[in-house]
Amino acid sequence: MVAIDPTLLTNILLIGLSGTLICLAVHFIPVGGAPAAMAQATGIGTGTVELAAGSGLVGLITAAYMYTNVENAPMALILAAGAVGSMVMLASTMFSGGLIYAYGVAVPFASAQVKKDPITGDRQDTYISKGTQGQGLPTICFVSGIVGAALGGIGGALIYYVLVGIYGQLISATSAAAVAGVFTLGVFYVNAVVPSYGVGGTIEGVHDPKFRRVVGKDIFTSFFVSILCGLLAVLIAGGISP
Amino acid sequence: MVLDLTMSMAILALMGALATIAGCLEDLESDVGSQSNPNSQVQLAPQMGFLHRIFNKAISGEPISNGMSAVIGGTVTTVLLSQKFYPLTAIVIGAFFGAIILGIFATTSYAGRVASQTRFKQPLYMDIMRYTTPSIIGHNFIMNFCLVAIAYIQFEILGYPFTIPFLALIWGISVGAIGSSVGDVHYGGEREFQNREFGCGLNTALSGRIVRKAESGLRNSIDNVWFCAKFGGPATGIALGLTVFFSSWPTTIFGYTWKAIGVGVLIVVVLIIMNRLIELNVRHAYGPYKEEKNEKEAKA
Repeated sequence: MVAIDPTLLTNILLIGLSGTLICLAVHFIPVGGAPAAMAQATGIGTGTVELAAGSGLVGLITAAYMYTNVENAPMALILAAGAVGSMVMLASTMFSGGLIYAYGVAVPFASAQVKKDPITGDRQDTYISKGTQGQGLPTICFVSGIVGAALGGIGGALIYYVLVGIYGQLISATSAAAVAGVFTLGVFYVNAVVPSYGVGGTIEGVHDPKFRRVVGKDIFTSFFVSILCGLLAVLIAGGISP
Repeated sequence: MVLDLTMSMAILALMGALATIAGCLEDLESDVGSQSNPNSQVQLAPQMGFLHRIFNKAISGEPISNGMSAVIGGTVTTVLLSQKFYPLTAIVIGAFFGAIILGIFATTSYAGRVASQTRFKQPLYMDIMRYTTPSIIGHNFIMNFCLVAIAYIQFEILGYPFTIPFLALIWGISVGAIGSSVGDVHYGGEREFQNREFGCGLNTALSGRIVRKAESGLRNSIDNVWFCAKFGGPATGIALGLTVFFSSWPTTIFGYTWKAIGVGVLIVVVLIIMNRLIELNVRHAYGPYKEEKNEKEAKA
């Protein structure tokens, strides 16, 4: 019987966990898709994959830079750097998007999924314009998005941390960072696409009933897909030579 | 390269400025070429009987198409740098290559999309293609230049572990995601439906009924970019500028420590509070669309 290295198994499991975190993150981010771009739905006016990847990749840059600059960096610090990078990107985007909704299109922020904002307690239904599914970014959506960005940033940073550790033993630091970065990008896209089937293109965030309905199934799928990604990531390491 | 604090801040400010210009130009390029989500209305209009003279380019989602042009720019720049080109020249030539490739995609996607609408009698205007394509290339060139310059600074001066093409790809994807989320709302939510009362909200029944008349003559994409340059473009620029600046500022000032992480979280909290202030401001300024039922009953 072939003995399996426990470190190898841990690495694969960590990549599986990272992918699952990214999948969970997508559910938290309020994406309204094309209708939101016309202020016809609550959330950010773009697709789930675009936004999750966009914010997560900024987190990847900040996490990778932290990893380079701190010798024997603790995992928690790298993950936190990834989370902060992602949160800053999504917060800036949602804030600027809010400016356009407020002063460019002139519509008040309103959620179509709850009668009152769970954080501020503000009435929502009376502020929804006729024939739409809400508009803009009420506080609950904004906060949910920030939590999602943090999870996505942590997920991306964790994959990078694991992979750069594996490849760093085999090839030069620059090449290891490149391969780990590209693989993280791939795992990010895979896990941003999986939940977009579940949420069907739009979700308001944690308060959306859709969240509870689909999150379990999506996470289950994503975990197994990510484990497969982890397996591939470890397998390709066998073919890498300096 | 080890830099002192003043030099680090100067470089960070330069990166923030480059990012602001890149963000602004990315959004304006997507407006002049009509890409991403608002383009669904441009695509739908002929099916509703509204023929128009607006460019119709949707190569892919904005992040991917911008990532593509930026990574081509970054790759060409890297090749030229390895041939001992002067960095600025290499970045300019690289950015130009990326923009030309995007221009090629823009013409083929415009021709292809309009050709698919033959049954709705939507004409393919050659003058629109001739005037608009250079504008798309021009906007994209400036965006590419800024993003590849940021990637160059990060790789060569700040010592980021990723290479120039990969950093350009990531910033291209991010700028596309931001442009698609921020500036496009100004184009899709306001400019395309400008004949409706300001602030009335857009009923989904209006889908495809876009404005086709301009301030003078028939509206084209150059008119759209003129309008969006007043708010949508700059707001997108601010978003990317803030992202680039605030994702690096805490570590530049406080080092690579938990303190910097704490400051980063604090910046996010400040942005949440600012969004709440805007929310309150617009709720007070515009008021509810519907009267509450209790109030109606009280009046009755």
